[in-house]
Amino acid sequence: MRQTQILALTPREDFVGRDAELRALTQQAVAATARGIILMSAPGAGAGELLRQTYDQLFQQRGFAIPVYFPWKANESASETGRRFFKTALQQYIAYRRVDSLLCTAPLTLNDLSDLALPSDYELVTTLIDRFEREQTSENEFLEFCFSMPHRLSVNGRVVYPLLDCMATQPFGPGATIAGSLLRLIRRTRGPFAIAGLRRQVAQLLHDADRTISDASGTVNIDRLDDEAASRLIDTLARRRNIKIDEASRDLIAQQLGGSPLFISTFLRTAHDKQTSLVSFLNCQRLYVDDLMGGSIKRHFDSIINGLADSSQTKRTLLRVLYESAASETRKSSLGAWKKRIGLASHEFEQLIEALHVYEMVNSTAAFIEVNTDSYPWIDYLRTQYELEVSGGPRARVVGAMLAETLKRAPQTMAQKYRRESALGLADLLPQFNCQDIPAVLFHYDRFAARYKGETPDAIESGLETESELLRLPQVIQAVCCGAITNTAGSVSERCVVAHAFENAEYETESEVVWLVTEIDSKLEASRELIEASCDRLTSLARENGFERFRIWLITREGFSKDASDFLNERKAFGSSRQQFELIAKLVSTETLEPSTIDADEYEMIIPMGEDSELVAARAVEQIARRINFQPEAINQIKTALVEACINATEHSLSPDRRIYQRFRLEDDKLVVTVASRGVVPTQLPGRNGQEASIEPNAKSRRGWGLKLIKTLMDEVEFVHVDDGTQLRMTKYLR
Amino acid sequence: MTDAGREIAVQSRSVGDVAIIYASDYLNKLSGERIERECRRQLESGCRTLIINFRDTELVNSIGVSILVGVIDAAEQSTARLIFSDVNNHTANLFEMLGLTRHVSLATNEDEALSLAAQI
Repeated sequence: MRQTQILALTPREDFVGRDAELRALTQQAVAATARGIILMSAPGAGAGELLRQTYDQLFQQRGFAIPVYFPWKANESASETGRRFFKTALQQYIAYRRVDSLLCTAPLTLNDLSDLALPSDYELVTTLIDRFEREQTSENEFLEFCFSMPHRLSVNGRVVYPLLDCMATQPFGPGATIAGSLLRLIRRTRGPFAIAGLRRQVAQLLHDADRTISDASGTVNIDRLDDEAASRLIDTLARRRNIKIDEASRDLIAQQLGGSPLFISTFLRTAHDKQTSLVSFLNCQRLYVDDLMGGSIKRHFDSIINGLADSSQTKRTLLRVLYESAASETRKSSLGAWKKRIGLASHEFEQLIEALHVYEMVNSTAAFIEVNTDSYPWIDYLRTQYELEVSGGPRARVVGAMLAETLKRAPQTMAQKYRRESALGLADLLPQFNCQDIPAVLFHYDRFAARYKGETPDAIESGLETESELLRLPQVIQAVCCGAITNTAGSVSERCVVAHAFENAEYETESEVVWLVTEIDSKLEASRELIEASCDRLTSLARENGFERFRIWLITREGFSKDASDFLNERKAFGSSRQQFELIAKLVSTETLEPSTIDADEYEMIIPMGEDSELVAARAVEQIARRINFQPEAINQIKTALVEACINATEHSLSPDRRIYQRFRLEDDKLVVTVASRGVVPTQLPGRNGQEASIEPNAKSRRGWGLKLIKTLMDEVEFVHVDDGTQLRMTKYLR
Repeated sequence: MTDAGREIAVQSRSVGDVAIIYASDYLNKLSGERIERECRRQLESGCRTLIINFRDTELVNSIGVSILVGVIDAAEQSTARLIFSDVNNHTANLFEMLGLTRHVSLATNEDEALSLAAQI
């Protein structure tokens, strides 16, 4: 059934890329234990429209929760907001109860509302209107009365579901304070609620209002649309508005407007109004520059800048400082320097910077400020306004220069998109590194090529299974694109990643290491010159950032020439082809996806330490091992190994709970036994088989026998990192 | 292999200057120390050969085995002979792994152990 457009600005079918968020909001209305949802939105990401779509859907679903959508208005006084809230809530309540969506937006007086109330609601509605007219004595009491409407209307088993759109709440404006009052009261109703606001503002808004709101709410991040959703939105709008568009132009628009639903919808509307077909980059950029010079993009940023700068002189100074900072090499300046140049008093200056930060025009910290150059519309607006308002350039010249500039950069913009799409996804893979053991040959192209070049995938997979030289990956704790820490990393920052890690997941300075990983474009095996340049660049990056221990890993499509491989070996750097990378990714994800929940072939057991409780465990594992027909000798070996593991845990862990946690997992050809305990981690734990324990047993020295026995009796033994204590995993294969 | 079983003092008997000590079902710290104490007592009373009979021993742990090293030391110091009898295959392998068999003779059963003792 087609959804009627009540408050939404776009038809439901045109509202793309937000299905999951919409579902979360509407489900909230029927949840047995309703909570609040906080929508933390990027500017222009369409969180307000998401709430309106939610309203329309809930209105038509006719659930027990009655939606009330309330948008904040900039520069509205407290009493005006209170009055509007009272009337909005009452009007939408009556519209819902009468199942008459037209009433939601009809121009109605309070008398009209009283007349329209259902007989069963009449007393409630007239009482509320009477109270509203009498509660005008003190502003605080009046506001409290108005803002308590969701609570007052939640009667006879009905619940009012406020959808509060704070996207237009100005930082430091009166709206922010009033929003705080409303949120406090909403919280008290304990029913469902949703609040949408700019992500850099809403957290503060909630914190100021009532710290418990955040605790009682789920958070949904509303970012700009991804490439696929942005393209879908453009296609949908173009079709609806009969705008001729080709795929290349569509993709350029999506990239240039940064996936912003706001800019995309206004851009398509302009194309429709001007009857411009979007079948060439020239057409697109002409329209875009028009939008920058006098259209919706200009109006959007003008409204913000004009709201922040109270005089034309301040506006000019602000534009100058913003533009010159954005154009500077580092883009970062001290707040002190900005303050001096802008010339505002401290308090006003702080508010200005905070507002620019909230609107994501700049990124500011306590001491520094950096103009956000990620958004083409913002930077292009800044440039055109600087040329027009500060430099006083003739409009025609500014238009011509901007059009030429946007056309010149269009192929680069698209190339960046293509590179991003073809990127290996380093930033996704690196965080999965968590002490997995991977065949070392996968990090050395020369060795890999010598052993596996020309082999079938099956043969490679079989070969890798028998590789004895394994490289233990570090535990990566953070992986960021190089662009996040340097401005000189290269054109596509997704293809270069800095990963902070700890070897063996040991959180000690000596184990700390930074992996610098980059993809290199090369049609053939990469040459030594190319590799040298990359290594030097990454080494400089490591020095600039004070990374004491770092590991360079280069990835190319076709691997490395012999000279290049020799160079990598000299520098102790890793080098993999794309094929090797994909194999690594497969192995890493396989190990990561090991089930953590108990399934049918798994048994768990917790025993107390001491009192020979290891015998209980040994008996249990004997029964379990019999299920897949282990021979008696193997069963005895497993039992002894388990007993030793329990004794180790008891003797070495200083366990606070004095318990040993065991898990037995049966697979087709093996039994995996995991023994864990909380407490102190013994120093110099051994790794997998082959990595020697620090204690060498002999008949006259009794130390280290337990581990020696375990390693001898079982086929694979590994200490797995856990945050607290130790976990020993032992595997016995069926023979 | 019960707690009650382990409360009972270690069993032993003497055949001339040979002492036979019977290990319990689980050779761990407690039962190992009992065996060690009994062995030392036997050595002090002039015993020339110690036979530890493992016929009831199902499971051993490394602490229990390490205590046997103390028994080996004590026997060596007294120039007495030490024989392990009735050791099951698994336990024998463990003794081998941990190097005990370099210092101890193994006998299939108690009779064989007594024969070995008589050969001295």
